Amino acid sequence: MVSPLHILVVGLGAAFFVGLLNHDARRTAFAITLAALAAMTLIAGSWAWAFLFGGATPFTILTAGAPPPFAINLGVAAPEAVLVALVCAVGLLSALTMRDALERFGHRAMAVFLVAVMALVGIILTRDVFNLFVFFELIAIATGGLVLISDDERAVAAGFKYLVASQVVSIAMLIGIIFVYHATASLNLDDMNGGSIGPVDSGPALAFFLLFIALVIELKPFPINGWALDVYQSAHPGFSALFSAGSSTAALWAVDKVIGIGGAPWLPMAAAIGLVTFVGSNLVALSQTDDRRLLGYSSVAQIGLVLTVIGLRDLIGERHLAVGGGILVTHAVAKAGLFWLSGLVASRDLAGWAVLRHRPILIFAFATFVAMLAGLPPFPGFYAKWELVHALAADGRLAFVAAILLGALFEAVYLFRWFGRAIKAPLPEENAAASRITGAVVVATALAGWAIGWTWGAASPYGNVMAATPLLVALAFPLLEWLPARVKNTLAILVLCLGFWVGYPHFDPLQMIFGAIILIGGAVIFIASFTFAQGRRIGFYPSAMLMYAGLTMLIVAPDTFSFFAAWEVLTVGSYFLILRGKESEPHALSYVVFSLGGAFAILAGFALAAQTTAPFALAALKQVAADHAPWVFLLLAVGFMTKTASLGLHIWLPGAHAEAETDVSPMVSGVLLKAGLFGLFMLVMHMGRQSLHGVELTYVMLWIGAGSALIGNVMAAFQEDAKRLLAYSSIGQMGYAVFGIALMNNLGWLMALMFVINHYIYKSSLFLSIGGVAKRTGTREMYRMGGLIKLMPLSFVAVLVSIIAMSGVPPLSGFGGRWIFYNAILDTDARLPMVVIFLSGPIAFLYLFRLIHTIFLGQLKDEHRRVSEAPVWLLVPQMMYVVFLLGFALFPGLALRRVDAFIGGFMPERGLDWEGTTITSAFGHWNPIAIMVVVGVIFVTLFLWLLFLEHRAQMVKQFNIAFAAERPHRPETTHFAWNFFAPYRRAVGVLAEPVFERFWGATTGALHDVAGFVRRLYTGDGQVYALQVVAFVVIVQLIAMGMRP
Amino acid sequence: MTFDWMKIPYALLTLIIVVNYGLLLTALVQKIAARAGRRHGIPIWQNYIDLVKNYALRTSISHGVMYYLGPVFRLTGGVGLLLFVPSLYGSEMFSNLSFAGDLILALYFVFFGTLGMALGAGESGHPYSAIGVSRGLSQVTAAELPLALAVFSVALQYQTLSVTDIVAAQQGGITNWTLFTNPLAVTAAMFSFLGSMMRPPFDVVLAPQEIPIGPPTEYHSSYLALMQTNRALFPVAKMVIYMNLFFGGATSWPIFFLKIFLIYMVSALVGVVFPRFRVEQSIRWFLVWAVPVGVLAILVV
Repeated sequence: MVSPLHILVVGLGAAFFVGLLNHDARRTAFAITLAALAAMTLIAGSWAWAFLFGGATPFTILTAGAPPPFAINLGVAAPEAVLVALVCAVGLLSALTMRDALERFGHRAMAVFLVAVMALVGIILTRDVFNLFVFFELIAIATGGLVLISDDERAVAAGFKYLVASQVVSIAMLIGIIFVYHATASLNLDDMNGGSIGPVDSGPALAFFLLFIALVIELKPFPINGWALDVYQSAHPGFSALFSAGSSTAALWAVDKVIGIGGAPWLPMAAAIGLVTFVGSNLVALSQTDDRRLLGYSSVAQIGLVLTVIGLRDLIGERHLAVGGGILVTHAVAKAGLFWLSGLVASRDLAGWAVLRHRPILIFAFATFVAMLAGLPPFPGFYAKWELVHALAADGRLAFVAAILLGALFEAVYLFRWFGRAIKAPLPEENAAASRITGAVVVATALAGWAIGWTWGAASPYGNVMAATPLLVALAFPLLEWLPARVKNTLAILVLCLGFWVGYPHFDPLQMIFGAIILIGGAVIFIASFTFAQGRRIGFYPSAMLMYAGLTMLIVAPDTFSFFAAWEVLTVGSYFLILRGKESEPHALSYVVFSLGGAFAILAGFALAAQTTAPFALAALKQVAADHAPWVFLLLAVGFMTKTASLGLHIWLPGAHAEAETDVSPMVSGVLLKAGLFGLFMLVMHMGRQSLHGVELTYVMLWIGAGSALIGNVMAAFQEDAKRLLAYSSIGQMGYAVFGIALMNNLGWLMALMFVINHYIYKSSLFLSIGGVAKRTGTREMYRMGGLIKLMPLSFVAVLVSIIAMSGVPPLSGFGGRWIFYNAILDTDARLPMVVIFLSGPIAFLYLFRLIHTIFLGQLKDEHRRVSEAPVWLLVPQMMYVVFLLGFALFPGLALRRVDAFIGGFMPERGLDWEGTTITSAFGHWNPIAIMVVVGVIFVTLFLWLLFLEHRAQMVKQFNIAFAAERPHRPETTHFAWNFFAPYRRAVGVLAEPVFERFWGATTGALHDVAGFVRRLYTGDGQVYALQVVAFVVIVQLIAMGMRP
Repeated sequence: MTFDWMKIPYALLTLIIVVNYGLLLTALVQKIAARAGRRHGIPIWQNYIDLVKNYALRTSISHGVMYYLGPVFRLTGGVGLLLFVPSLYGSEMFSNLSFAGDLILALYFVFFGTLGMALGAGESGHPYSAIGVSRGLSQVTAAELPLALAVFSVALQYQTLSVTDIVAAQQGGITNWTLFTNPLAVTAAMFSFLGSMMRPPFDVVLAPQEIPIGPPTEYHSSYLALMQTNRALFPVAKMVIYMNLFFGGATSWPIFFLKIFLIYMVSALVGVVFPRFRVEQSIRWFLVWAVPVGVLAILVV
């Protein structure tokens, strides 16, 4: 194999050679540049391969044939090889994307570029401190020059500011090196390592501090990084990619090497600066509108996080390289990809990225990079985040965990806001400058991201998320995007059914209920998707299958890691699904932010529970130490309740469900909400009752469930938009289910499961019916409709059966839920929350009646006289649901009997008695078949009698009614529909006050205000930036001195 | 399960008795209320006349399927409610079809007819119907609450949801009635009762003066006759539940008639004394006065 030394040789040699070429030989120069970079990448890549898979051992290169300190030595081990390969690859690809610019500026620019890449490699490899300084100087000068290769006028100023600031840093570094040399009598890192610096308040320590802080400032820590951000903003995106992925990577490795000299006392400083940078930078990025500056903030933040990991190396131990490396590699790949991608976008506004929609493959790449940066599976950042949080939680550093997760949430907010805007903004004209090469580079990078995800997962001690069969199946769907939508739809149905058939023998009764809803239920909803299966319907099937894959992985997850991975997969899949709605941009964002916030709570909870055990089985939640258990319970419950949209965490749901596409609404309402309930079931089954400061947490859950039921129902009654009504109703229904789970008795859980099944059926059916109506009438405002019963009779029947079932009126299946509910509450002592639940019960009648009345009954509008019945593919699943509802009403035992027995294993008291057709509890009985027969017989008898009496009755015309002594003629003024429950609003309107919306609005407003305020530090003045650097050094030193005992 | 077919004629017998009693009772109470207002009032057989007349009328008008089925839903609700609850305690003959379910079944079945009728009225397209339904539903959400709390309190007290068991527990003297053993629950339930009887101050739903007759506005001839039959039957069926839960039930028809009459008189008495509430006023009244009593009832039981 070729010695890694040749990477430097090739880079430097090619730079010299290119510099000597004729100014007009631009193509030749570029070819040589590319060849050199390719050679460097190849050498580095071969070594990275050898270390990762070939079992190579670390070695040292003696540059001048003499051992150090007489000559400079280079250290090569796995991390170095990987980082060098990364830097060289980024350099190569960046050069490809910069071809036009480089050729315009000529051979000298290419020479500088080569020197920059070579210097980055040098920083990573060298073991000599002064050599390190030299390479940093090279980088500084090269950067100052390369910034100029840009169309942006601000580039000149940015380059100058960069040079000013980096010279201040260089001076600090040089002084530091001089005095460190004075103290240790060596410039070689290997000689100096091992605490030779002495106590932290000694002179040598001050020297080391200067060296150390200079390296840290090379990482552009928050908030003294204005000079670097200007570079990100104004440089050519190809160079920014190298600057972000390469320079920071090299500087991080330098910090990691040098920090060993000072030893343990310096770690907290690194961790603290890193953490402040991570949180602060992400916070400021919240209010950014320029894409490249946003990427700059994000780069700074990610590097800050890696610095934190370096600072925590004593805590994380030998895995710190894996953790930091995971974040770093993810960051480098994604950030480079995004910068290159920004080269394809003419506008610097975030909405300008909509232009990528001309080429869906680029949207795929964009989504990949966003997911990588947000730390989602299956990318290395996900594994790293998991390990980092676990290590911190095990050591009790909960403030760290909170800060890191908060910063990560900020990052997710702006990344997903950006992505949403790109997907939803008006489509601009085709970008004339779209370069095929850059496009190919971006796609290759995205694919490399997936490949790295696979490799990383395979090496991870937690197992490979990507190897999970459901995920693999879902990931196959992007490859099938060229197929017609009908084929993909059929395939999706088959895959889900097959999944159930395969899983069926392995499910326990609880998994069976959820599995049937997810897989069979999902397949039934897909039948409705045939309605929309025109063309290829790009993006729909991968998103939907991703969600179903996540849900399937969730219910079979044996340990916390796979559970959490599944949770994130289903979250991101459903986010893409929700985002497809026409007006859903803000709602999808709100959904994903709440979901990720919830997911972070779950992560923290799992980490707290697991301590040092890995992998941690879910069943082991039983054995969590008593002092942690309530907190674990609290965190997990909060996480799961963001998904069930429980009171306070519910504000994302109405918009997300209402604005989603017609066939997506039932997926995210009927199926997705059940993930939260499954989580809660898992939680209470394993952890039971927990008390925190004397407050029983399940009791608090009772109140939350009851409150959700009340507020959901009240809000539903006041909606004018039919889909919003259904969405609020889901909040109420989930409230009932949460309440049932929190009752902590056999029947409560059974009732919750009854709601799981029922809610899936009737809410899916209703969303499809209403979606069909909205499709035909072109509106979702109920008061604009009316009298549609005659034109859409089948939709009406589906709505009628669904609302009777939902209202709980016998003889349909909703009654079973209510009956179990009454029996369940007789078994418990918590009586006050019942009052709230009782209050919310009848309110359901309000919105259900309004739904069916204002749409199907009353006066038909003139513009709807030619409306036809909903599309047949929407009706097929609805009719199936009608049959399901009737069947489940008659034979609830088919589904519930086994579950009842299963739950009995967790509970001391007895469940129900399923003797014959009668279901008996300790308090009462219920015979669904008898009820159905009695009601049916009475109904039919009376109907026949009326038919006998009034068999000649004929249909009359619409306005054949006596109304205030005149015949009405305008449906708009005769259809009593708008603000239907005005008196009710006058009485209890206070309950509909948007208190929680205001709270979350104020929270986000405050965050943006803080971000806006902090941005004042970025004055744009180079002198101020230089002063800030000096001030930062002084302040850090003062704080460090103050913190010492 | 073996079904005793004799239950069917027995149930029909109950039905006939209760319908006739209901027809007479509602006329009587209307007459009493009229006398309290210094009017003469209707003859005691007026309801029969109305029924015969309306059943005899033929019409050629229907506004659609739901409109047609509305009265069927309505009366099914009334008949079902009556038959799901045993009428007389200790009588196999008049235990009706209570094998199908317990108290909860009866409580939820109350809404079956109401909702069906509201849907039928809705299809007529008459705005007064819709206004009446809007008012009725708004009011019932608050009015039902004290009853639900009271029922829960009684179920807790007797540790059962079986109507028969609850009546059984009240036997052996008037002091065993829930009225005396759990007065708070009974008070709350009777507040709720006032709200459900369509008499002042809670009769704005039908609003006989301002709006023709609320939801049934467009109904006539035998449609209306079915609904009138229900109007005789339904209050009695509901009061049977009250009687069974709170007032010791009945072991014979004379006691049944007397208790039902007295329970009905409570709402008649209040109705002649108080003027009508607007809907939001009655909602607030229930929430402020009736619900706290119900809450107390479930807390102290």
